[in-house]
Amino acid sequence: MPSTLTLAPAPPSEAAEAVRLEVRQFLAEELAAGTFSTHVDTWLSGVDPAFSRKLGERGWLGMTWPKEYGGHERTAMERYAVTEELLAAGAPVAAHWIADRQSGPNLLRYGTETQRKEILPRIAAGECYFVIGMSEPDSGSDLASIRTKAVRNADGDWVVDGAKVWTSNAHHSHYAIVLVRTAPADPTARHAGMSQLLVDLSLPGITINPIRILDGGHHFNEVVFDSVVVPGDMLLGEEGAGWHQVTAELAFERSGPERILSTFPLLAEFARRASSPAELATLGRLSARLLALRQLSIRIAAALDRGELPDIPAALVKDVGTTFEADVAEEIRRVVDVPASLDSPDPLGRALAEAQLHQPGYTLRGGTNEILRGIVARGLGLR
Amino acid sequence: MSGEQDLVVSTVREILAGHEPVKLTAERRWDAQLWAELADAGLTGVGLPEEAGGSGGELADAVAVVATLAAGAGAVPVAEQLLVAGPALLAAGLSLPPVGEPLTVSVSGGLRVEDGRLTGTATDVPWAGVARHLVVVADGPDGEVLALVDVAELEAGDATNLAGEPRGSYVLDGVPAQVGPVGELRARYALARALQLSAAAETVLAWTVQYAGERVQFGRPLAKFQGIQVQLAQMAGEVTAVSALVDAAVQRLDRGEPLELAAAAAKVRAGAAVDVVARLAHQVHGAIGFTLEHRLHHLTTRMWSWRDDAGNETTWARVLGAAVAGDDPWPALVGVV
Repeated sequence: MPSTLTLAPAPPSEAAEAVRLEVRQFLAEELAAGTFSTHVDTWLSGVDPAFSRKLGERGWLGMTWPKEYGGHERTAMERYAVTEELLAAGAPVAAHWIADRQSGPNLLRYGTETQRKEILPRIAAGECYFVIGMSEPDSGSDLASIRTKAVRNADGDWVVDGAKVWTSNAHHSHYAIVLVRTAPADPTARHAGMSQLLVDLSLPGITINPIRILDGGHHFNEVVFDSVVVPGDMLLGEEGAGWHQVTAELAFERSGPERILSTFPLLAEFARRASSPAELATLGRLSARLLALRQLSIRIAAALDRGELPDIPAALVKDVGTTFEADVAEEIRRVVDVPASLDSPDPLGRALAEAQLHQPGYTLRGGTNEILRGIVARGLGLR
Repeated sequence: MSGEQDLVVSTVREILAGHEPVKLTAERRWDAQLWAELADAGLTGVGLPEEAGGSGGELADAVAVVATLAAGAGAVPVAEQLLVAGPALLAAGLSLPPVGEPLTVSVSGGLRVEDGRLTGTATDVPWAGVARHLVVVADGPDGEVLALVDVAELEAGDATNLAGEPRGSYVLDGVPAQVGPVGELRARYALARALQLSAAAETVLAWTVQYAGERVQFGRPLAKFQGIQVQLAQMAGEVTAVSALVDAAVQRLDRGEPLELAAAAAKVRAGAAVDVVARLAHQVHGAIGFTLEHRLHHLTTRMWSWRDDAGNETTWARVLGAAVAGDDPWPALVGVV
């Protein structure tokens, strides 16, 4: 295999296994107390600020960040164990997910000292939430074609016009990191002239319109910017370096266990009743696939601990992982005769319905699998 | 891979370089010459302790030898000897036959051992007719045991797998046997095949990437077509997933932890990758890959067969599924490997 695609094995981490057991205990207590119920794909749909604050109190957000910014200076392997346990339990983690996963690390890397001091501790406390401002109505996979623009006015502030879509939970969030054109599009340098702005979602001129997904849930939004004046010091990183910064951000976005575990709560529900040879074989096949993905995902966490940015392996894992997420429901329904319905009296029927109605999203969000395979092909030296 | 393993791998590769893979036939059932050269170099005893008659070295060395031979389609029973029957015999407290003599394994069952004599028919025996010694799972008076018999003088029939490797049977009629605890013979066999599948799949991907870069159609290399790139990326996803899980299972074996479920997962995952990898490899290679003239078949036919050895995906998936099923599946799952 080309070295661009391979990942070194992860060294065992006792600290990660220790915090894993703490999280597992916490989740068992919360479930028993009825503070949440298990659902599929809760990192998109499970918004619960009170739950996010509890995680913040326990030091399970901003785990790898410096202590001076409210972080806990723990390893990516420890963070991996925490996120994995939360996802496996189908816990409501959507409120803080984007901020903890990618916006915080992005601010840490490119933010001003003021931004870091003011915002990062609030993210780590589970109180401040972010949305991703990348896709637009006319720019999906072709992100370089965005048209939302920001122009400096006489005061040195940015005036933003345009619209971003698929902004998960914008209606519950405080900030967006918005990719904008700060120079006109140049057909000879498609990736030039873009920048990232840190935008307070309460600014005048911002409208947040719901976009409902197949189960009727309101997670996505269209965020419209109508001559929004963003203070000049809210430029994130370097003017014109937006594409480079977004690429780094996507490595974080694509590398986590949420790309393999979105439908685990369904698999767990199935495992609780699997008993016939056919059911056990299906459970075993799906388990083997998940175990392989898990090894890859753990290796990515270890690579992050080594200071690497494993963007190409992360694309590969996300391609294989999200395909698996979608297959879980399909494989299970081949061996059980339980109608999928959100109103089913049977928890398996409800989990099947949630997994099915969210299924188109797994292989689209964070970069379609077609885009990801293009990245893997680049890793194979084909382009 | 450490420096030690680099050395082992380069030695095996040097020997393999003089042995282009051959189409196995009824007249030529294995590569006896390759085996002799490996044995002369001490490579048929790697990872088996010197005091037991092996060549010494670590598990990682044996794994490197087996993977390199699998990738080169070497027609020799080295995986059976170094990773399955050899270590299982030692774990059972039995003595190792001379490592220059090929040793193989059967987990087909249907055998009974009483008063040190083995009776029944061992089927699906890799390298039957080639191996001198055979390790089997058999029923004893107090449950399942491992038994070692000398099969040098026995008829094995001429059944083969899809690659022409011997997969015959032995009718055993009160053959004297050494008997010991069965241990993890089945899991070792499954993991060895998963390792071979992983190595073969990785090589098939490399060959396919290379071919796509060389073959020109419509004025450009196949590798420049997006449709081909997608197929190669899918193959890479399978190969990478299999390799990571097999590695993790091998680590578990190295640490001496219970192997059964990790081996089950590795065998299921590796077996499941065969269809994707072999099918897409043949698709990209086009008609030439469908001929005996081209090297591709040496590995794809082996992959199609190795996935059936030691229990196929369904058999092992049931074992793994039964362990994960229950009220608390998540801890059960992450405890596997």
